[in-house]
Amino acid sequence: MPDVQSMVLEFVNKLRKRKIEGSQATARCTVELLRSVISHHRVPHHANQASALIDAVKAVGAQLVAANPVELAVGNVVRRVLHIIREEDLSLATAAVAGLDLLDASDDDEDVNGKGIGYTAMSAAVVAAAARSTLRPPSLQTLLEGTPESATVPYTSSSGADSESKTADKSSITRKLKHDVIEGVNQLIHEIAGCHEQIAEQAIEHIHQNEVILTLGSSRTVLEFLCAAKEKKRSFRVFVAEGAPRYQGHLLAKELVARGLQTTVITDSAVFAMISRVNMVIIGAHAVMANGGVIGPVGVNMAALAAKKHAVPFVVLAGSHKLCPLYPHNPEVLLNELRSPSELLDFGEFSDCLDFGSGSGSPLLQVVNPTFDYVPPSLVSLFITDTGGHIPSYMYRLIADYYSADDLVM
Amino acid sequence: MWRRSASFILDDERRRTSDSPPMAADNTTTARAPFQNPDAISAYYQTRAAHHGVITSDWLAQAQAAVGGVSGEEHPDSSAAELGKEKTFNVIEEFNGWRKQPDLAEAVAAIRALAAVIRASEASTMMELEIELKKASDTLKLWDKTSISLTAGCDLFIRYVTRTSALEYEDFNSAKSRLLERAEKFGEISCKARKIIAMLSQDFIFDGCTILVHGLSRVVLEILKTAAQNNKLFRVLCTEGRPDGTGVLLSNELSKLDVPVKLLLDSAVAYSMDEVDMVFVGADGVVESGGIINMMGTYQIALVAHSMNKPVYVAAESYKFARLYPLDQKDMAPALRPIEFGVKIPAKVEVEMSARDYTPPQYLTLLFTDLGVLSPSVVSDELIQLYL
Repeated sequence: MPDVQSMVLEFVNKLRKRKIEGSQATARCTVELLRSVISHHRVPHHANQASALIDAVKAVGAQLVAANPVELAVGNVVRRVLHIIREEDLSLATAAVAGLDLLDASDDDEDVNGKGIGYTAMSAAVVAAAARSTLRPPSLQTLLEGTPESATVPYTSSSGADSESKTADKSSITRKLKHDVIEGVNQLIHEIAGCHEQIAEQAIEHIHQNEVILTLGSSRTVLEFLCAAKEKKRSFRVFVAEGAPRYQGHLLAKELVARGLQTTVITDSAVFAMISRVNMVIIGAHAVMANGGVIGPVGVNMAALAAKKHAVPFVVLAGSHKLCPLYPHNPEVLLNELRSPSELLDFGEFSDCLDFGSGSGSPLLQVVNPTFDYVPPSLVSLFITDTGGHIPSYMYRLIADYYSADDLVM
Repeated sequence: MWRRSASFILDDERRRTSDSPPMAADNTTTARAPFQNPDAISAYYQTRAAHHGVITSDWLAQAQAAVGGVSGEEHPDSSAAELGKEKTFNVIEEFNGWRKQPDLAEAVAAIRALAAVIRASEASTMMELEIELKKASDTLKLWDKTSISLTAGCDLFIRYVTRTSALEYEDFNSAKSRLLERAEKFGEISCKARKIIAMLSQDFIFDGCTILVHGLSRVVLEILKTAAQNNKLFRVLCTEGRPDGTGVLLSNELSKLDVPVKLLLDSAVAYSMDEVDMVFVGADGVVESGGIINMMGTYQIALVAHSMNKPVYVAAESYKFARLYPLDQKDMAPALRPIEFGVKIPAKVEVEMSARDYTPPQYLTLLFTDLGVLSPSVVSDELIQLYL
């Protein structure tokens, strides 16, 4: 386990120094790290293994999120893993309970729960129902039920029954949980790696013949999306806004031309001028928030406003690891990062204005270089994720599928 | 004849009650006629006014009637007694008793009243108990059609009872005692709900912000109290809230917490909207579309806020979710309350006495509920999960 500790510290350092670029790479590294944490974690046999695993993952996850709070994919992936652990535990618990039905459990164990004696089958159903309700987020249905007491029920009944009979069975359940969780995590890695292909498959439905597409900056998802449409013999043109100050739009334009697409490079300021000639705007997101808002490279808010003004559909591509279950309350400030002013201004020329030594001690010239932009959900027409196309007000549903309510605060 | 509404049902009803004279023969219709008559005063808003300590003309009339030696109950109560059932009389009395407490939510009062029905019931099987409860709940709902929390609370409890009986308990008495226990607990749940909502909304109040508040919602008050206790720097603009005078009451409470408060006329909202960072309102009910039904004036404020791109946040407990879908402002049961103008108005002049309006979901940004932070589209999902 010291091995795992050093891995975690190394990764935390990388995150803090922003050495890993891109949410997909970050997500992948995080999941692989969590997988090693889980497989190396020694689960106690007598107590509740699922909560031990959850605590271990949460501890590591909190460290990772603190290292780079702006990279939301880290938090998303940690929460996904926690959700997987809870789900696997639940399915094992219901399977175990179904097995208990056939056992003649002793009556004194049942009395612990305070339920009627001798009705093993019925209590098992109750236990299953209670266990199911602990996994679901709080809802109107469970409002009157008072979940805290019922949460302890599945665990006491299963441990009570097992202690008198098969201890071998118990250890196999232990191993099974870890095994299932690792399988789930592997599936998650596979999903993250394959998100580009899944999204690109849907390109043909959205891009039609002789269309003009506008994009901003450079996103690998957008690149694959456009190329997939090109493969299916759609002929269309692409306008690429260069995405100052990093000018990644230039790189994208080069790639597109290499694949045979007719491309036009424009400045960010020309977006409003060109928007009337465009059929659709396609953007890759950095993160998607629970209300349907989008965090994207700086300049997308402007493109979104231009698109709204001219009634041009604004389509956002996002892999499922970019879906964040949090609601943004001040995204322009809290979820943004200011990068070095050297990307905008050359230090050599402007050294006198930016000098702290002159005059009152603080320079008169300030340079602000934000990395991200927030687009409110009302400006987005469609989200294309690896599960299909959705409208912004539907994102909460996907989030409810992928995440548990207990993991929102780490 | 001036009306041109999407709610054909309501128009039909109005036409029917104005055409056919109320039948005096049947006991039940005399009990109901006052409520179908559009001039009926909404009991729910009367109670709210009583909580706020507003003295209205009809309250005075009641007080005088009570002092004058006439049986202290209002007309509806005595006609409810005429319905013949001892139990239903108790339910409404019980409910009124609970409702008068100013800190108790409406739904909690309803569920406590139903708990009293369970306690007083002589049923020996779950089915009988369910039927009694259903009857009591129907009576309560009929007694005050304008209170959405009441309807929602009753429906929630009945739903819970129906589902519990299908589950585990062989023994009727233990099932009954469990139901009673959950009903008592509901008061705690409601209190906890307010605390959860207050906690969820803390992130959205940042230092140096200006909050516009309309109406006197206990949940919103809890939110502001918690923010003040967390030493956040913010100021509150509250609307006067005629005719209930909620603005003055709210400003009293807030000045006790040392929060800077400014009172606005209801008509000054658009004037001050540019200095506002966010709008906080409570809700009398949350409807299926994700919109809210709240004190008159909320729709106006939401419209202004929307046009100036200010977020509108609604704080509502989850038991206020109702299966209503109003298509326009007049598509709900009319809830009227008397309005004092201070001067005599000529007899021919009509007064718009509606106590509430409907704010459609597109003007709301987020709802803070004890189920979490929700966007308006999530509400119908929750309702579907519960009812279907």
